[in-house]
Amino acid sequence: MRDRHLKYLFVLPALVLVLVTSFWPLLQSFWLSFREWKLSRARESRPLWEPEFDGWETWPYLLENYQRALEDDLLWNSVQVTTTFMFASVIVSVGLALGLALLLAPGGKFRLTVRTLLILPFAMSPALIGISWRFMFQPDFGLFQAVFGAVVPGLADVDWLGDPTFALIAIIGSDVWHWTPYLTLVFIGGLANVPRDAQEAAMIDGASSWRVFVDVTLPALIPVLAVGIILKSIFSLKMFDQVYMLTNGGPGNATQTLAHYIYFHGFKYYDMGYASAVSYLLVIPMLGLTWLYMKLVFLKR
Amino acid sequence: MASVTLKGITKRWNEFVAVRDLSLLIEDQEFLVLLGPSGCGKTTTMRMIAGLEEPTLGEVFIGDRKVNDDLPKDRDVAMVFQNYGLYPHLSVYENIRYPLKVRKVPKSLHSEKVRQAAEKVQLDHLLERKPRELSGGQRQRVALARAIVRTPTVFLMDEPLSNLDAKLRVTMRAELKHLQHELKITTVYVTHDQIEAMTLADRVAVMDHGIISQLGPPEEIYNDPANLFVAGFIGSPPMNLMKGKLHDNNFQHPNFSISINHEANLEEATLGIRPEDLILCAAQKGVLQGTVYAHELTGESTLTTINVGPDRLTIRGPKEFKINIDEAVGVQFEASKCFLFSNQTGERI
Amino acid sequence: MGNSIRKQVADLFQFALILCAAVVILVPIYWIASGAFKQQVDVFQLKLLFTPTLANFNEIFRSPYNLHEKLLNSTLVAGTTVIVAIPMATMAAYSFSRFRLRFERTMFLMILSTQFVPAVVIVLPYFLLFRDLGLLDTRLALVLVNLSLILPFAIWMIKGFIDGIPLDTEEAALVDGSSRLQVIWNIVLPMALPGILTAAIFCFILAWNEFLFAVIITNSKAVTMPVGLSLFHAEEGVLWHLISAAGILIMLPMFGLAMIIQKHFVQGMTLGAVR
Ligand SMILES: Nc1ncnc2c1ncn2[C@@H]1O[C@H](COP(=O)(O)OP(=O)(O)O)[C@@H](O)[C@H]1O
Ligand SMILES: [Mg+2]
Repeated sequence: MRDRHLKYLFVLPALVLVLVTSFWPLLQSFWLSFREWKLSRARESRPLWEPEFDGWETWPYLLENYQRALEDDLLWNSVQVTTTFMFASVIVSVGLALGLALLLAPGGKFRLTVRTLLILPFAMSPALIGISWRFMFQPDFGLFQAVFGAVVPGLADVDWLGDPTFALIAIIGSDVWHWTPYLTLVFIGGLANVPRDAQEAAMIDGASSWRVFVDVTLPALIPVLAVGIILKSIFSLKMFDQVYMLTNGGPGNATQTLAHYIYFHGFKYYDMGYASAVSYLLVIPMLGLTWLYMKLVFLKR
Repeated sequence: MASVTLKGITKRWNEFVAVRDLSLLIEDQEFLVLLGPSGCGKTTTMRMIAGLEEPTLGEVFIGDRKVNDDLPKDRDVAMVFQNYGLYPHLSVYENIRYPLKVRKVPKSLHSEKVRQAAEKVQLDHLLERKPRELSGGQRQRVALARAIVRTPTVFLMDEPLSNLDAKLRVTMRAELKHLQHELKITTVYVTHDQIEAMTLADRVAVMDHGIISQLGPPEEIYNDPANLFVAGFIGSPPMNLMKGKLHDNNFQHPNFSISINHEANLEEATLGIRPEDLILCAAQKGVLQGTVYAHELTGESTLTTINVGPDRLTIRGPKEFKINIDEAVGVQFEASKCFLFSNQTGERI
Repeated sequence: MGNSIRKQVADLFQFALILCAAVVILVPIYWIASGAFKQQVDVFQLKLLFTPTLANFNEIFRSPYNLHEKLLNSTLVAGTTVIVAIPMATMAAYSFSRFRLRFERTMFLMILSTQFVPAVVIVLPYFLLFRDLGLLDTRLALVLVNLSLILPFAIWMIKGFIDGIPLDTEEAALVDGSSRLQVIWNIVLPMALPGILTAAIFCFILAWNEFLFAVIITNSKAVTMPVGLSLFHAEEGVLWHLISAAGILIMLPMFGLAMIIQKHFVQGMTLGAVR
C-alpha cells in the first residue's frame, strides 16, 4: 500500500475518536441549551419555542435558558468567584514559581534534589488534595489552623472553611500548592534556554545581577511566562475538583466556581437545558484562551 | 547492473521549483557526480531516483524499467545518507544485515555476506558495537557496508564524506574510488566539494538552480567550462572574471585591452582566466597593471590578490615568491588561455 | 573580603528560601501519609509523636468501604484507557510527524484544542447518552470519556518523540527494502519506545487522577479511588485516618510513575511549549 492512503488511515481512528468524544458532546449541549429538560420530571427534552405552536413573535423564548442564567444572581456570584480565583491563583502561583525557578536554576546537588520534589504535588490527585486540605483546615485539630495560628496570632481563631473569604483563600492556597511546583519546573526549563553567553556579556559590560535579570533574562523568559500564565488561566477557569472536595462551594455559595455551578444545576437539580446554556457561557472565554495558547505555542515553529 | 535515465523530471513544492525539467543518462557502471552549491537540487534529484520523492513531472528509468510508481524497496538501489541513517538500536552487525533480512535473503547466507562487506570496509572487528560507540569515519563505513552487503543495481551517495574531518575525507575518498572500481556498480554521488567530484567522477553534472549547467568528464568541466556559472564555481580559487567589451578581435577592459581571436562583437562580455595562467611581472610591463592587495602562502604555492580598476585578480605563484602589499605590479598572460563569455546569456562564446 | 561575606550571606539566604519551599511541599504530603498510620484518636490530637498502626489499611479494604474494588476499578479504567489510546495515538502521531496531510494543521489543532474543553461541559451529554445506553456506573463508560481526555496529550507527546527520530534512518530502511509498515515496526517503534512508554505513564497518571467524570458517571459499582475518598463518613463524622490511608494508595503509585518520567511530565502538560 502506498503511503498516500496509509497516512490517512493512520490518523483516522484517533481523529474519529476525538471528534466523536469531544465535538459531539459540545454540539449536543449546544442544542440542549435551547431546550427544556428537567431530568427528574421528563424522559425527553422539549423545545422552549416552536414556531408553529408559539408563533413567530415569541421567538426570544428560545433563549430562555440563557436569559434565566444572565438574570441569576448566583450565576454572577460564581462568575465573580471564578474570576477572583483565577486572578489570584494565576498571579500568586506564577509569581512564586518564577522566584523559585530563579532560586533553583543554578545546578548543584541540593537544588537538583529539591527539583525532583517539585514533581510530587502535580502528580497528586486534585480530589485528594481537596479533601486533605479540608482535613488540615479543620478547626481544633487541623494542621494549617495550628501552624498559621502559631505564626500569625490573629489567625488562631479563624474558622477557615466557615468564613466566605477564608474559604476562598483556602481553595486558592490548595491550588497554588498544586500548581506552583509544576510551573516552577516549566520556568526552569525556560531559564535553561536563556542564552548563557548573553548573560555573561551583560555581566562583562558591567551590569549588576538585577540588571542582567531585567535586561537579558526576563525578556528571554517572556514566551515561557506567557505559556505558563495562559495554561494556568485555562485550568483555573475549569476549577472543579478541589472546590467539590474542599468546600463544595460553601459556605453558602462563597466558593462556587462556574464549573461547580454547572455541576450543581446539571446533577443536583437535573436541569439539563439550563446547565447546558450556562456551560456555553464557560466555553466562550475558554475558546479565547485556547486560541491565544495555540497561537503562542505554534508561533515558534 | 543497469543504467539510470531521467527524462525531463521536475520537482515542485507549491510554487518552489527544486529541480526543473532535468534529463540525464547515467551509463551502466558509470560513476556520476552531481556537483553544485548547496540548495541547487542535488539531493532532491537523488531522492527521486531512490523513490523517496515523487517527481512532479517526468520519468525515471532504472535499466529499461520505468520506476516512477515503484516504492523505494522495489527499486533495488542502495543509498548512503549524509548523516548515515544508521539504526541506533541495532549493532553494527545487525545494521549491515538489515537489507538481507527485509529482502528475505536466506538466513544461512547472512553471516558470510555481512562479514565480507565488513571486511571490504575494514570493520570486521567492530561488529558487536552500537553506532553511538563508533567514530564518524567508522559510522560512515557502516553505512557503506550496509549499502554493499547485497549487490544493488545502483549506488546512491549523498555527501557521504561531508561529516568527516579533512584528513579522513581524503582517505575515504580513495577507498570509495577503489570500491567502485572493484564492484563496478553504477553510482550516483552527490557533493558540493569539487575536489571530490574531480577525483571520483567518470562524469560530473554541475547543477545550478535545479538544472544541469554542464555535463562532462572532470577535465572537460575544468578545461572547457560551458558558461559563467561553471567557470566561477569550478577551481579553487575560482577563475578570475572581468567585465568589458569585445570589439574587432579585441577585449577592452577599463584598465587594459588585449587582442583576442574572436569574430563576435559584444558590448557586454566577460573575460575569464585561471589564477595559474597569470604571471606577475615588473610594473609597467605585461598586459595589465595593478597594485597588490593581499599575499598568502597556501603551502604548495602562493596566492597574490591585486586590484585592477574595478576588479580583483588572484594569481597563483611559486611558493618562494614574496611581495609587499600596495606594491605596483604588472601581469602577463596569453590570449589562448582566456575564456570569453556573453554577459547576456552567461554562455561561452 | 566584604564581597565574599556578602555572597555567603546571599547564598545562605537562598538556601533558607529553598529549604522553606521544600518544607511547604513536603509537609502536607507528610501529614496525609502520617495520618494513615494514626489511630483515630491521634488524628484529632495534632500530635507529632504517635504509635503507628497498620489497622487503617486493614479497615479500608473491609466492608462497607471495600476499597480493593475501587482500586481495581481505577487500575482497570486507567490501564484500559492507556492500552487503547497509545496505539491509536502512535499511529496518528507517526502520520502527523512524517507525512504531509490534507488539512494537517486543522486536524492537528482541532485534536489538541479538545483538551481545553471543560470536562463539566461535555459530561452532560455523556451522562444522558450513558443513561440511555444503560452504561451509567460502568467502567466502559469511564474508559470512553477518559479516552477523550487522554488522546490529545498522547498524540502530542508521541509526535514529539517521533519528530526526534532522524528521517535519514527511516529512509535508509525504505531503500534497504522495507515496506512502510516494516519501517514502523522494525525501526520507528524500537526507537520511539522509551517515548511511547513515557506517554503511556503520563496518560495513566491523568486517567488515574481523573475526578469529575468519575464522580458524575459512577455511584457504586464503577467508583474509582478519587471518588472513593468521599466514602469515609460515619455517624461520628469524617474518618480522616481512613481517608489518609486511601490517600496514600492514590498518591504513592503516581509519585513513583512521575519520578520515572521526570522532565517529560512537564512537557506533556504544556504541549511541549517548553523544551
Ligand atoms: N520537502 C521540501 N519541501 C520544500 N522545499 C524543499 C524540500 N526539500 C528540499 N527543498 C528545497 O529544495 C531545494 C533543493 O534542495 P536539495 O535538493 O536538498 O539541495 P542540495 O542537496 O543541492 O543542497 C532547497 O532550496 C530546499 O530548501
Ligand atoms: Mg543535499
